Amino acid sequence: MTGNEGSPREPDGPAPTTTDPSLQELVLESRDVQAFLAELAILAASRLSVPGNTIHSGVTALRHRKPEAVAASDAAAKALDELQNGFGQGPCLTALCRKTTLLVPDLAAETRWRPYVRTAMEHGVSSILAVPLDLAGHAEAVLNLYSGCSNGFSSEDIAAAELFAGQAASSLRLILRISQLSDARNDLSAAMQSRTVIDMAIGAIMAQNRCDRDTAFNILTRTSSARNVKLREVAATVIRSIPGEAGSTTRFKE
Amino acid sequence: MNADWTGGPDHQLEADEQRRAVARRFHQGAVPLVKLWTYYFGLGGDADEMSLDAYLNEALHLPAAQVGLISTAMTELTTDEDE
Repeated sequence: MTGNEGSPREPDGPAPTTTDPSLQELVLESRDVQAFLAELAILAASRLSVPGNTIHSGVTALRHRKPEAVAASDAAAKALDELQNGFGQGPCLTALCRKTTLLVPDLAAETRWRPYVRTAMEHGVSSILAVPLDLAGHAEAVLNLYSGCSNGFSSEDIAAAELFAGQAASSLRLILRISQLSDARNDLSAAMQSRTVIDMAIGAIMAQNRCDRDTAFNILTRTSSARNVKLREVAATVIRSIPGEAGSTTRFKE
Repeated sequence: MNADWTGGPDHQLEADEQRRAVARRFHQGAVPLVKLWTYYFGLGGDADEMSLDAYLNEALHLPAAQVGLISTAMTELTTDEDE
């Protein structure tokens, strides 16, 4: 095993102090990010594979504090990642936790993670290299590399994998930042639409019941919680009940 | 809109208790502040993001109507996540 304590950390931008859960979601839900990670796994596998030593590669990311296999170069790597997540322990998960590169040169000589190591050997794996992706606190992910040969990773391979993971991580940080902004924009646009509907409904209730805004809001909120229907859906129902508004959708233009 | 709570001491206690409950739910949950504020704004909320932040950190009182909307926003956002 190799310890890489001084992983390169770029000095750019203030690192967020806490992990933003919405960004963790993005890693797993954004199709762009998933496609990027799949590409990363395939590239890493083909870069490091040599005749006689085929490398399988997968990416595991944390979701709701639980690891999930999100992308892989092939089905074998995906199965190995899922296997490890099923056991809840293994070299890749340890690398993810410690945020350092971890090499298991020979599974036959490995004494840690026994249940997983035994099963992985049955799948024909002899050495494993796990390289965490430094995403500056936005999310946590690890690049997992499997080889069928013992001592399947030379020190050059490890350096190459780390370089690769470092470059991928900086691209990924940018993707996450862009996705975060577009997510915020979508939320805001949804909020503007919902606010328009609710404002109209409030006005309608005020006119109908000859009451003030707070009372109208109260009526709407009470109906929403009594029927267990979202506030904006109750509001939409109110608007539909106005003669002449039936069938028309609320218009909100950005 | 800020700190215009004019009720008596009993109301004040009740409001403090309600605020603690809302703040607890916020800190336990995984909803970022900006997401909560955006959703609350979408429901017709009038307080700005900084006031919401102050309210959730028990540094500011908001009118009862706003508190109701914050609570509704939190409920609807967490139900979305469970689905």
